[in-house]
Amino acid sequence: MDTSRLKKLLLDGAPEFWELLRQQTREARAFDELFILSSLRKKAHARHLAPPKPASEKIRVALLGGYSLYPFHELLEHICELEGSPCELWKGDFDNYISEIMDESSGLYAFAPRVVLLMPSENRCRYPGKLTDPRELQQAEATRVVDSLLQLIARAHDKTSAEIITTNYILPARHDHGAFRSRTMGSDWTFRKWVNLELGLKAPPYLHICDLEFLAHRLGGIQARDERSWFESKQPCSPALLVDFAREAAHLIASLRRAPKKVLVLDLDNTLWGGVVADDGLEGIELGDTSPRGEAFKAFQRYIASLRHRGVLLAVSSKNDHHRAAEVFEKHPEMILKMDDIVAFKANWDPKSDNIRQIAAELNLGLDSFVFVDDNPAEIDIVRQFVPEVATILLGPDPSEYATLLQDCRFFEVRSLTAEDAERTSQYLSEARRKELQASATDMNVYLESLEMEAVITEFVPVDVPRLSQLINKSNQFNLTTRRRTEAEVQALMREPGYIGFSVRLKDRFGDHGLISIVIGHAVDGIMKIDTWLMSCRVLKRQVEDEVLNELARLAAARNCSKLEGLYLPTPKNEMVRDFYSRMGFTLVAEDEKSRQFELSLKNFQPTPTRIKITRRAYDPS
Amino acid sequence: MTQADVLAKLQTIFDDLFLEPVTLIPALTAKDVPEWDSLMHISLVVAVEKAFNVRFRVGEVEATRNVGEFADLIAKRTQER
Repeated sequence: MDTSRLKKLLLDGAPEFWELLRQQTREARAFDELFILSSLRKKAHARHLAPPKPASEKIRVALLGGYSLYPFHELLEHICELEGSPCELWKGDFDNYISEIMDESSGLYAFAPRVVLLMPSENRCRYPGKLTDPRELQQAEATRVVDSLLQLIARAHDKTSAEIITTNYILPARHDHGAFRSRTMGSDWTFRKWVNLELGLKAPPYLHICDLEFLAHRLGGIQARDERSWFESKQPCSPALLVDFAREAAHLIASLRRAPKKVLVLDLDNTLWGGVVADDGLEGIELGDTSPRGEAFKAFQRYIASLRHRGVLLAVSSKNDHHRAAEVFEKHPEMILKMDDIVAFKANWDPKSDNIRQIAAELNLGLDSFVFVDDNPAEIDIVRQFVPEVATILLGPDPSEYATLLQDCRFFEVRSLTAEDAERTSQYLSEARRKELQASATDMNVYLESLEMEAVITEFVPVDVPRLSQLINKSNQFNLTTRRRTEAEVQALMREPGYIGFSVRLKDRFGDHGLISIVIGHAVDGIMKIDTWLMSCRVLKRQVEDEVLNELARLAAARNCSKLEGLYLPTPKNEMVRDFYSRMGFTLVAEDEKSRQFELSLKNFQPTPTRIKITRRAYDPS
Repeated sequence: MTQADVLAKLQTIFDDLFLEPVTLIPALTAKDVPEWDSLMHISLVVAVEKAFNVRFRVGEVEATRNVGEFADLIAKRTQER
């Protein structure tokens, strides 16, 4: 990190110092970098270089715990000030937190904090007995540790009415006890995991968990600890984790006062799908299982959809022709997000800053509750300049990182549970119990029923061609003839009058499987010859085969065919479907080393009932 | 690295961390610099370990009595690498 420009601005007394300091503070990852920035901040105050905006009122925060609070408090003070929620800190003495909370005349209560940040000592979170003690004994001890901490916290809250933030416990990262560590609750590893879990689940509304277990996991267990710094200066963790800890604590303190974000405004081209729909067309954009990039965009949409389910409102602002942009939402089969998910849809040529202002007016929401996402730095810049209240996220060149970028910006986090949430929870619980019953049933039909499967059967359509060709060319095991076809060949086939072709998409209550089966038939002299029948092995034994045969028979009959003719062409990989046609009721009529030929008469054909709900059929005008 | 080399590099670290300018000489001790408290000391050690790419053993920085001895310790750990 280069601080030379900051130092020059400081020496010149230039007010731009503060904005650059804020930027560098956001970017700084290492402890010493942040500490130097903090020193520069203090130098600026000592020189009376005033921040551009007068700082808002300081929040009174008390720090106490089983560790030295130096230099943690320095980092916390620095980050809080530069993120716009300055703090006045009171520091307890090393490992004196229990008496500071119990003693009504302690400095803690004289300070009258609005927020108490507590770091309980991990030395008090250890099972004192044997590894081989009965689990009931070990578990009772863990519960006792949690309850006594919660009692202490309740006392601090009662006496101050402050919001309380407590850290939980970092897990060990060394090979103590070997694999046995997870088979007993007597090891620090399991004991602390249990305590952390119970602490979080039992936490009352005024208590916020600063999840050090998670932060250490995120950073890496070995990087998170530093034994030397404990022996030398009673630090809770390594300097690297101290930085993440301070950032998390600052985030929690700030979010106690700051309203959460409510609206996510999305760009379209190269944000929700790859490519530009106006140039590449509906068929040409990258979305879905056609390519790794297409899969990544689809996964990003899935994450956005999950935000919508959490209550985030979704809006679109895109430089596009309205009709072209809307068509993707209405017609593209791989779109996760639908028109109904979008509360405001602005596809036009106006500046995005204007669009966002208009959306805010329509929804009657403040601009500071908006987050804007785009892959184009120029668009991000316009929004930053003209509607600075809006938070912006610039997506990089790699769509596989889009969802993680959105997650790590931390704009849409759940704060606490409301009564409404609790009510919903009880409804969910009864629902969950019902499903559990189903899942426990051994009857296959009950299981299939419980999957709530829905299938869409579609004749070959231009927009599906890339996916059809891709599955035709990669499917090996459940593939009766293994005939490969390029996109151009699939397109040519669609124009051949004697041919039929359809694909099946399947979803169930666990998610969308996408396009999973393809059939091509060729009607010749009253016989429907099955040119291709393939299926993704992910959906074996789900009755998809039965529905495909039902559909095939229906389409064959509609084309005046009285017979289905199936062909098995053996390859090194498709042994699993050698007897497939026999299992489906076909008769073997000819066989040699290179092929097996089957027939099924349609005269007495009855469709096989299944547990799949078919919501659309091929060549169906509706 | 000689003691003088180490002192020169150390000076830049002190310039970054301390509010008031400190001129490093071998005889200087923490007591001579009001800002040099235990908090500053922790940060100083982290910055020095990173800048010189060394790792001190537990307690040995505390055992040095002045800047000269600290510089010698840095030089010694640098040579071990």
